[in-house]
Amino acid sequence: MGAELWGQLDPNVGLFIVEGSTRKYPYVDAEALIWGGAGSPQYGLGGNEFNVEALVAAVKLRDPRGISDARLGRFILGTGAVRAQHIDGGQLTLRAPSKTHFEIFGGVPVDGNLDGRGYDWIAGGRISQGLGKIGVLGGSYYNRYNVGQRSDEEVGIDFSLRPANWLDMAAKFSWEIVNPGLAEVLATVSSQTNNRKFRGELFASKRNPTRFLQQTSLFTVLGDLGTLKTGANLFWRAAPRLDLTAEGAGQQAEDQWGWTGYLRGVLRTDDEGKGSVLGELRRQQVATSRWTGIRLASVIQLFHDVHQSVGLMPEFEIIIPDDRNDLTGKAWPWGRLALRYQHESGWSFATAAEASANQTQRLDVRGLARVSYQRKWHGKQ
Amino acid sequence: MRKIVTIIALMLIAGSAGACAKMLGLEQEKEDRAFEHRAHVLEGINCNECHVGIQETGETGPMHFPSTALCVECHQDPHDPDTCSNCHGRARNRHAAEMARKHLRFSHATHNKEGAGDCVRCHVNVTADADYVRTKHPTCLSCHTHKGQWDTRDCGGCHIDLPGEMAPPESHVVHDGNFLREHGVQANAQGDLCTSCHTQRQCAECHGITVPMIPSRLDFDAPMRNTMHRANFISVHAQQAVVDPAACITCHSELFCVDCHTRLGISGQDPVRGNPHPPGWSGPPGSGNTHGPAARLDPISCASCHGGAGEVLCVSCHQVGGPGGNPHPPGFNSRLSMANDLPCRLCHVGGI
Repeated sequence: MGAELWGQLDPNVGLFIVEGSTRKYPYVDAEALIWGGAGSPQYGLGGNEFNVEALVAAVKLRDPRGISDARLGRFILGTGAVRAQHIDGGQLTLRAPSKTHFEIFGGVPVDGNLDGRGYDWIAGGRISQGLGKIGVLGGSYYNRYNVGQRSDEEVGIDFSLRPANWLDMAAKFSWEIVNPGLAEVLATVSSQTNNRKFRGELFASKRNPTRFLQQTSLFTVLGDLGTLKTGANLFWRAAPRLDLTAEGAGQQAEDQWGWTGYLRGVLRTDDEGKGSVLGELRRQQVATSRWTGIRLASVIQLFHDVHQSVGLMPEFEIIIPDDRNDLTGKAWPWGRLALRYQHESGWSFATAAEASANQTQRLDVRGLARVSYQRKWHGKQ
Repeated sequence: MRKIVTIIALMLIAGSAGACAKMLGLEQEKEDRAFEHRAHVLEGINCNECHVGIQETGETGPMHFPSTALCVECHQDPHDPDTCSNCHGRARNRHAAEMARKHLRFSHATHNKEGAGDCVRCHVNVTADADYVRTKHPTCLSCHTHKGQWDTRDCGGCHIDLPGEMAPPESHVVHDGNFLREHGVQANAQGDLCTSCHTQRQCAECHGITVPMIPSRLDFDAPMRNTMHRANFISVHAQQAVVDPAACITCHSELFCVDCHTRLGISGQDPVRGNPHPPGWSGPPGSGNTHGPAARLDPISCASCHGGAGEVLCVSCHQVGGPGGNPHPPGFNSRLSMANDLPCRLCHVGGI
């Protein structure tokens, strides 16, 4: 069993996380993640108002032989090609020896009471087949209802394949049924050398925003948008402590093609990677989104022994928009300096000063502080 | 004089190159190097002679690293009076072994018996004098007793608390490249593999809907963490929403924007800023209004303020017989009931 308690100022929020497991038949895992906030206008809590919400409160029962498992409660459901959901409900998985897996899920989608909308229920499932030792092919479906009528209904196909040690590929494809059309396609193919010094990836994605809206929205009638993005990514471990990454992609938005890309270098200052320095140059030039960004960050171990450590974390970023004017500012800098003390007993203290300027605020200065405690209890093993 | 300058320049270059090589990890630091396992094996020294008693060790108990006293039994004239392990053998490898003892259900006694005392069968890197001698996953999986557990994702047979271990995998399921982008498509096909290490907590940090729990705010002391809303995201969030609006509404509802903008006083309802639309934004057909094309290019921007009940504003013009005319693009079809379902029934009264 483990427990963590986090508290932070500005915004004034806290988290209580508790996790536990037992290996008696059936295996039982339980976890809860409870959020609390007070007097934080960012979260709609003014003055003396406070709020407590559960993000996760779920129990998972599992057959030790792996034939079945079930999850009940509030949790994030992410399975197959259909979109991830936050639900109050249950999920049951059955695994046949032929590597055929069956999943069913159902419940009430977690959602704030949106203006005039609130989900009633959701149900769906997935069936998948293992392809020997090299991959998995699956098909999934869900149906969600909203104030008594069909809100969205999706069917999807997913696969993951590793035909050789040096080659990985995965893809998913989902189709909206209520207002028929492509909802989302994601695909990635990557290859790496045996010593993992080089890795290259080709990727493509298309997410159609009108299919992601509830189908009860009037804006779904406006049809498909071009949102295709395709590009490549290259990773190179140039030296044992130096990693370099480059990514470039063509991207479509507002019926125009543009490009986006970045170059990033990370230098570890020791073999364990406890200290590191990051530098990044980023450029986006798609439709009305045109800007260049530079980011520098570092983790500096000021003191470290087996019981405790003290670290300093400076971070700086500046965004320079192409459209520079007096109203929105000519550059949007942001910087933060954080200091952290960690003790092996589970206590951690962190504080930071943060300053920024952007298109809506000429100067914003904040102080942040966080105290957390983490503890684990082990029974008989 | 020229010679002196050349010598100084060469010394500076050599010094800088040496410092760079050390900084980049190209040059192994003398005080912390891999232990010479291979040389000992080639000398015919049995592992148990140095790791005394390890062949009888169960799942718990002390580690069996050789002491200096044991080393000097053979190396009778040590070149340094300090503890041997200060230089011979890397501290991080000893730490990895300690972590293995803490987090794994593993008995050397059982394995020693099954393997007839052949340690190299599992610790294959010993033969290559490699830096890291802890057994890797494929070696474990080569034994049939673990194979079924791998297929059914039952890692608990060996790993006491895999989520709590928080150890990045050495040889399998490696999260290289831009895993923030890749993780979704990988997790979709083999979600149960992900959950063998990751708890719901990690999903909820980004995908939780009830409250925002943005990792870049919560973990403000982890600048190397690759997250969706990192560092100065607020500066470019409007631009990012234009580029990939569906990425936003995968987690946020379309009304998330207006909620925040209203609180911060930067919405269209703000008495100072007023209407965000330019003059001539909307008007009767033929008046050169621009809101129609803008809505077709980026309907999510419209929905972020005019969603929900606000849509009624649109249908006051965009209906058959109305000045806005038919809003549907060519080829539009839907399985919704025109008479009963939203948003159809807003215009198609009686299903007509």
